[in-house]
Amino acid sequence: MLTKLADMKRIISLIFLLVGFLTFAWAQEETVEETVVEKDKPVRSPFESGYLIDQQTSVIKVPKTLEFVIQHKFGTVENGRSDLWGIYAPGANIRLGLNYVVAKNLQAGWGITKKNMYNDFNLKWTLLEQTRQNTIPVSVTLYGNVAIDSRSKKIFEEQQYWHSSDPDGVHTLHEYRWSQRLSYFSQLIIGRKFGEKLSLQAGASFSHYNLVDHTGDHDKIAAHLGGRFKFSPQSSLLFNFDLPLKIKNISEQREWTNHPKENLALGWEISTSTHAFQIYISAADGIVPQDMVMFNQNDWKNKGLCMGFVITRLWNF
Amino acid sequence: MSFIGLQDQKKGGPWDVPAAYKSKKAPASTAQSVNLGKMLWAKHCKSCHGNNGLGDGPKAASLKTSPGNFKAAEFQGQPDGAIYYQSFVGRDEMPNFEKKVVDEEERWALVHFIRTLK
Repeated sequence: MLTKLADMKRIISLIFLLVGFLTFAWAQEETVEETVVEKDKPVRSPFESGYLIDQQTSVIKVPKTLEFVIQHKFGTVENGRSDLWGIYAPGANIRLGLNYVVAKNLQAGWGITKKNMYNDFNLKWTLLEQTRQNTIPVSVTLYGNVAIDSRSKKIFEEQQYWHSSDPDGVHTLHEYRWSQRLSYFSQLIIGRKFGEKLSLQAGASFSHYNLVDHTGDHDKIAAHLGGRFKFSPQSSLLFNFDLPLKIKNISEQREWTNHPKENLALGWEISTSTHAFQIYISAADGIVPQDMVMFNQNDWKNKGLCMGFVITRLWNF
Repeated sequence: MSFIGLQDQKKGGPWDVPAAYKSKKAPASTAQSVNLGKMLWAKHCKSCHGNNGLGDGPKAASLKTSPGNFKAAEFQGQPDGAIYYQSFVGRDEMPNFEKKVVDEEERWALVHFIRTLK
């Protein structure tokens, strides 16, 4: 009981800190608007692309830009040269996506992923951009999606699953409902560009699956950290870290037997006028963010890393 | 299958630059703006125009029209506004970059860098 109270206090403190921080950012903007005549412009390219390996960035291109993205993850490197460190392993995952910038700093997208045949529909809104004169010190971005598990209905019908309304120890076979295919992901990302080379971002996310097996949780909160170090006009080093949190208050399990593992990714980005190429190693085999947060069992400390790449192509209309 | 060699490229004809662009005045060039322009050059221009504006970038050989030599007196003798127009409005194989480089300050920074190529 005391642990639960402490957890709740921590969450409430976090929310207050976040709200306070956002209020401070807005207040800064309003104060400066009154005194400074010349508009403070957003910083140039905090990131080169809207993708940071497995995460989103604050970057949204100009309105009427269409982006095609290919995200590809090979198998894990654990088998060494026998399957060319995962490149020829059977467990590759691929996502093909399209994003369109519908208005300034507002992007809508759709993608389809091999794993679970997820069809995800997403929205990204950068509601605050960091400015050059520090009028707004950080960028604030909201990202959310709904994903549909588009595999055969038979897979769902055959699956015995647990529902939170079931009595302890009783695992009932429930009737298939279409809504069981749905999962959701929502994320707040706060980022800052430090000088010309370094950009960092931190985020918090909430994931929800309508259907999980009896050892899993329907909800998961995760913390995210990412960044880039630009070492030439076209090249940068990238990293991201995603940590699913063990929060008892939102868990349906007494003990976690297979709690999702954190995801660590390191990569190299080359960007051109219309493309971004990211080559990386990453722990998670999932590409859709809620899948990474909810199901990753690859351990980056124990050969659980996969090679992968992201390629984006832009068109302006 | 056909291949286009540099020797087969036609020279681009004279540009019809609107007066409004020709008369555009560039802000003063600074070391900072040249450096910014150099970064933008590497990202947007280098693949066709080459490191030094000689038109010898890796993609240049696949163009039907020569990207030209930016070191040439003929090119550098144009007003800043004309270079601005050619760089961002473009024509034919020279793409429009107005939506790739949206900030006016960045556009002029690129012109400042191009001026250093002579």
